[in-house]
Amino acid sequence: MLGLIKTWRELEAKGIMGINRRNADYVLKYNKRSLYPLVDDKILTKERAIAAGIQVPEMYGIIETEKGISKLHQLLEGHKDFVIKPAQGAGGDGIIVIADRFEGRYKTVSGKLMSHDELEHQVSNILTGLYSLGGARDRALIEYRVTPDPIFKSISYEGVPDIRIIVLMGYPIMAMLRLPTRQSGGKANLHQGAIGVGVDLATGITLKGTWLNDKISKHPDTENPVDGVQLPHWQNFMELAASCYELCGLGYIGVDMVLDQELGPLILELNARPGLNIQIANNAGLTHRAHAIEEHLQQLKLTGTQESPQQRINLAQSLFDTNHEL
Amino acid sequence: MRALNLHLKILITLLVGLGALITGYQIFVLNIPLTEHEVDNLWNIDAKVEFQAKTNEPVKLQMFAPPAEQNHVILNESFISNNYGVSINKLDNNRRITWSARRASGKQTLYYRLVASSRYNLEEGKAKGPVYRESIAVDGVEKIAAEALLASIRQNSADVETFVTEAIKKVNNRNDDNAKLLLRGDYSSTKKAEVIELVLSIAHVPIQRMHTIRLESSSNQEPELWLRSFNGKKWLYFNPQTGEQGMPKDRLVWWYGDEPAFNLEGGLNPQISFSINKNEINAMRLAQLSSDASSHFLDYSLYALPFAEQQNYHIMLMIPVGVLIILILRNIGGLQTLGTFTPVLIALAFRETQLVFGIVLFTLITALGLSLRSYLEHLKLQMLPRLSVVLTFVVILFACISLFSHKLGLERGLSVTLFPMVILTMTIERLSITWEERGGNNAFKVAIGTLFAASLAYFLMSSVQLSYFIFTFPGTLLIMTGFMLAMGRYRGYRLTELFRFKAFLKD
Repeated sequence: MLGLIKTWRELEAKGIMGINRRNADYVLKYNKRSLYPLVDDKILTKERAIAAGIQVPEMYGIIETEKGISKLHQLLEGHKDFVIKPAQGAGGDGIIVIADRFEGRYKTVSGKLMSHDELEHQVSNILTGLYSLGGARDRALIEYRVTPDPIFKSISYEGVPDIRIIVLMGYPIMAMLRLPTRQSGGKANLHQGAIGVGVDLATGITLKGTWLNDKISKHPDTENPVDGVQLPHWQNFMELAASCYELCGLGYIGVDMVLDQELGPLILELNARPGLNIQIANNAGLTHRAHAIEEHLQQLKLTGTQESPQQRINLAQSLFDTNHEL
Repeated sequence: MRALNLHLKILITLLVGLGALITGYQIFVLNIPLTEHEVDNLWNIDAKVEFQAKTNEPVKLQMFAPPAEQNHVILNESFISNNYGVSINKLDNNRRITWSARRASGKQTLYYRLVASSRYNLEEGKAKGPVYRESIAVDGVEKIAAEALLASIRQNSADVETFVTEAIKKVNNRNDDNAKLLLRGDYSSTKKAEVIELVLSIAHVPIQRMHTIRLESSSNQEPELWLRSFNGKKWLYFNPQTGEQGMPKDRLVWWYGDEPAFNLEGGLNPQISFSINKNEINAMRLAQLSSDASSHFLDYSLYALPFAEQQNYHIMLMIPVGVLIILILRNIGGLQTLGTFTPVLIALAFRETQLVFGIVLFTLITALGLSLRSYLEHLKLQMLPRLSVVLTFVVILFACISLFSHKLGLERGLSVTLFPMVILTMTIERLSITWEERGGNNAFKVAIGTLFAASLAYFLMSSVQLSYFIFTFPGTLLIMTGFMLAMGRYRGYRLTELFRFKAFLKD
């Protein structure tokens, strides 16, 4: 019992945010319920982003009805590789990634061949809500296939690594690189066994990582150290993340982005209830950082000014510079 | 935000304050018992009158019955008397029963039975009584003796109370010649009371006799004589034998005044005897029986509902308790459960199946249902048809279990009724959705958490004491609501998070 109280005190001193605090002070306070569909539906998010001129993987088409499935041929014409996903899917289920075509068939990333009929059946499954939350009818989204930048080759196992930045009222407060492992089956989902690696907001250099609530410093599959990697286009990532506040209106979000070999940073999706393991990856608490931003917002309110995304990035980078913070 | 916090604090204070006030009022003012098992003594007092009837003469027996206004409450009274007409009438402070018959012969036995208890009575209203009386005329030696007594009493007393006490002491003093003379060798209570009355009357202090029954199991008790005097504010009670002041709690006043317990016309050799025995009664039942203030309150409580309805509310009022448990387990403990309400519903279902059998049944059927679900996954069915198949399968399983257990002669299996079945199918549906969304591992964790929470909720919800307490003191629900509201702003860590974030402390 005493040990638990001690743990509690120490966590509090480090500013570690718990679920109750995240829900009460941030999710409930800054995220309006009516705006949730905007982030829950990947198509809506993408449409907003395109309208705002924010880089996202190019959308090839949407299939909304069973009748629309016959259009699939037409939509895929001219695209050698592409991704089909359910608009409201969760946990990466129901996603088909086609890497190539082979004698009238489709070849998935793992090398499996699929006929066009099989592909149509899969789309039909998506439409009936097989992969959507609660089984509601869904839409299928066909989009550009991201090719991860080769920089991740040494510290990633299959799949596409992604970068998550937590954004409070437009201010990036913490960042993490998520690397798929053999255990996570190529998915960049921490719950399924992917690694989270902290990223210094000021420089974009990776820190140590977390794997299943533990701290680690090497990738379990490639055995290469995960820290000290400079992420390219870091300022670009920060700009994308900061601009998402204007995009969706939610005050506390996790912005998930990827680094494409040719197109650079792209926004994949937004999350209105970002997880808390990012704190272990960064070895830092969210509460202190969030409080610093909230204090700053109070002062801005007094003077009646509003800051541009670039100003917000500058502030976040000066406040949360790991090299000077520790 | 700050205004919102203040608003919440005021609301919580209001709810908790109101709840505590209502509950406190019920407990301390209305004296409603805290537990159902609290018992009160219930006294059965039989007054038996026997006499020989004179032939061919009408019989009329008048007997005093205990007055209603006193420390004890009369729950029930009955008269056992063949061929007699009975009437009760009020007479000053007293009540008098009149038995009458046109004709009777031989030995007659009449019973008056009284059931009394000592609780659930509020303070009597403003007392009234005489403060002055005329002196009783005496002369000769007795007058001198009485006046001599009075002189020494006056010296040693300050007010009515000490005056009467002193008088009783003097009369009881065997070495006092004046008292001896007045008593004339008769040391019975009756004679002493007479002398005390005489002495006090000279000082114009009125005194009244009262006849009491001692509440203890006994088969033949004589009413005990007490005296009382009004000091202008309240009645003071004295024992003429001992000078003891204040009536003990175990006395029941049978009648006031100088008259005998009964008088008989048309009969011979009357005899009266009192027998008393004790019963224990559930305190709540007693409160319902008696017709005083706390039972007026009960008229507006859940006890006023029809019995079947009460039974339902006994169960329903426990639902907030269950929800509260789940709330604590989830938000403070960090336990993962299927939603908030499902564990409570499962706990309710356990009421019908019993805990151990319920857990076995739930585990078995959920496991079978989920394995069917994962088999169906291979067939690539859509969600709705797949769930329909699972639910149908569950119903078939239930039917099989009931049939087998019936054939094997196990009654338990038959207790699977509609309610647990609905809850179970719902659980399987929700669990398979969790499985789909968050993986089998998570679904397993959630299932164990749900079962644990449900068992804990079941234990609390099936507690008879707790159920009684909340049913009797619904104000506690307001206190609970206050707590729930406060929980809505709880920002502290969950217990599991202390383990989850342990990595931070390993530096």
